Amino acid sequence: MSANSGRYPISERLKTPIAIVSERGAVEWSNAAFEATFGDDAGGWLTDASRAVAGESGWLQGFFVDADELRSIDVDIEGRTYRIDKIMHVDDYDSPSVALWFEDVTRQREAEQAKSDFTAQIVHDLRGPLSGIQGTLEFVLSQEGTKLDPLNSDLLTEAKRESERMMGLINEIMDFSKIQSGSFAVEQEPVRVAGLLKRAVRSLQSVASRDEVFLLSAHGRDVPQIIGSVEKLTQAVINLISNSLKFTPKKGLISVGAQILRKGDVAEAIVITVTDSGMGIKATELQQIWDKYKQSGNKSLRGGGGTGLGLYIVKQVVEAHGGEVTVASVEGVGTSMVLKLPVKRAA
Amino acid sequence: MTPMSTLSPPKAPPVPDWSRLVADSIVQHGAWHTYMKLVEARGRYPDDLSRLGYTEILRNMIVRDFLHHPKGMQAMPKLTPEFLSNFDRFNLTAQEGYLVSLIDGRLDLQKLLLLSPFDHFTTLFNLAKLQHERAITVPQ
Repeated sequence: MSANSGRYPISERLKTPIAIVSERGAVEWSNAAFEATFGDDAGGWLTDASRAVAGESGWLQGFFVDADELRSIDVDIEGRTYRIDKIMHVDDYDSPSVALWFEDVTRQREAEQAKSDFTAQIVHDLRGPLSGIQGTLEFVLSQEGTKLDPLNSDLLTEAKRESERMMGLINEIMDFSKIQSGSFAVEQEPVRVAGLLKRAVRSLQSVASRDEVFLLSAHGRDVPQIIGSVEKLTQAVINLISNSLKFTPKKGLISVGAQILRKGDVAEAIVITVTDSGMGIKATELQQIWDKYKQSGNKSLRGGGGTGLGLYIVKQVVEAHGGEVTVASVEGVGTSMVLKLPVKRAA
Repeated sequence: MTPMSTLSPPKAPPVPDWSRLVADSIVQHGAWHTYMKLVEARGRYPDDLSRLGYTEILRNMIVRDFLHHPKGMQAMPKLTPEFLSNFDRFNLTAQEGYLVSLIDGRLDLQKLLLLSPFDHFTTLFNLAKLQHERAITVPQ
């Protein structure tokens, strides 16, 4: 540091630790805040971060992969969590170097964890009584001998439907809470995609019939298996179909398809599509629909708003499987949600 | 001879504004023409997921229009005289050929869906294609 003192006068005075670090973890320059925070120990953990350990790349290596990429990573250092951002690549030293910005996010992370724990507890407490209400309504409605007049029967059916909707919202909040806290793990089990789509379509067929919307499967049986979570992927497809049902008018059509993307003769990925003949999405809104709390500017045809988390959760599920999502839409014609999932094979 | 170092790797073509292109094409040329153009574009944009999504929107639109027949699932497709007298002209796929073999003018859509070995959407799409190519007609 002293050799370079005065070289970066503005950075020198900033209260956030900044350092220029070489590919091998040597500190080429640092400001006073960096030295005050990390002292002389920085060389040790920076050198460790520059090496691959047990086949895993050190986090510092990631900053040197692409000179143009602005990478950010959260790292635990000496009992605190720092968000490390790459400011720029620096060519002034003997070996390639990067200027790094170290922001202490320990309190922010603790607050996020506390919020996540609180949400998980609330969700858990809400699900118990709601399950009881659902069970009671199902029991009353399923009693063949019960004489319910048509009005009461309709009211109970509506109560059951709304309780199902509320359970869906609570589940969305729970999934969101898990995503936020980083505890959203994806199981590694064989997933038969054709069966998964069949179950998802079947589970919403009665809702589609009630709304006078055609809901059709559009895939053959020869869809290869993938590795992942049957439960989370099924829920993702159900979320997409439910979303389409909100915006598809009577006599409309929702199709659920699967196609295989091949490289030569090898199946590389499966593309699942949920396509509707709804009102479509404005071109200006297309890029934001996967964001959290983002809801379409279009009004649902069947009432009942949501949390605005459904599509965000779908995207997180697909990305947790190493896949990607996109959306195609033509206003007044329809929308297609596209999920691409890699076909992983056992090693 | 061009030195190797000056050769740049092949670049993927820029992704078109599918939303606008498809919307305009539907208005000007109709669903079938737009669908065929999107299928043609597969060679140029094989990995473009958006193109795939727009293709599905068109397939969905075509099947929905086919289902809007006044008789709904009770509509009875039959082979056209043109097909019966000149079927060599029609370049049918294996799936279309199989479906044609089921059509006798007495089976309605509901029964054809039950007899077809393909999923319902594919069966309806192929029937819509046969109707578009005038191999079958669905009287009102």
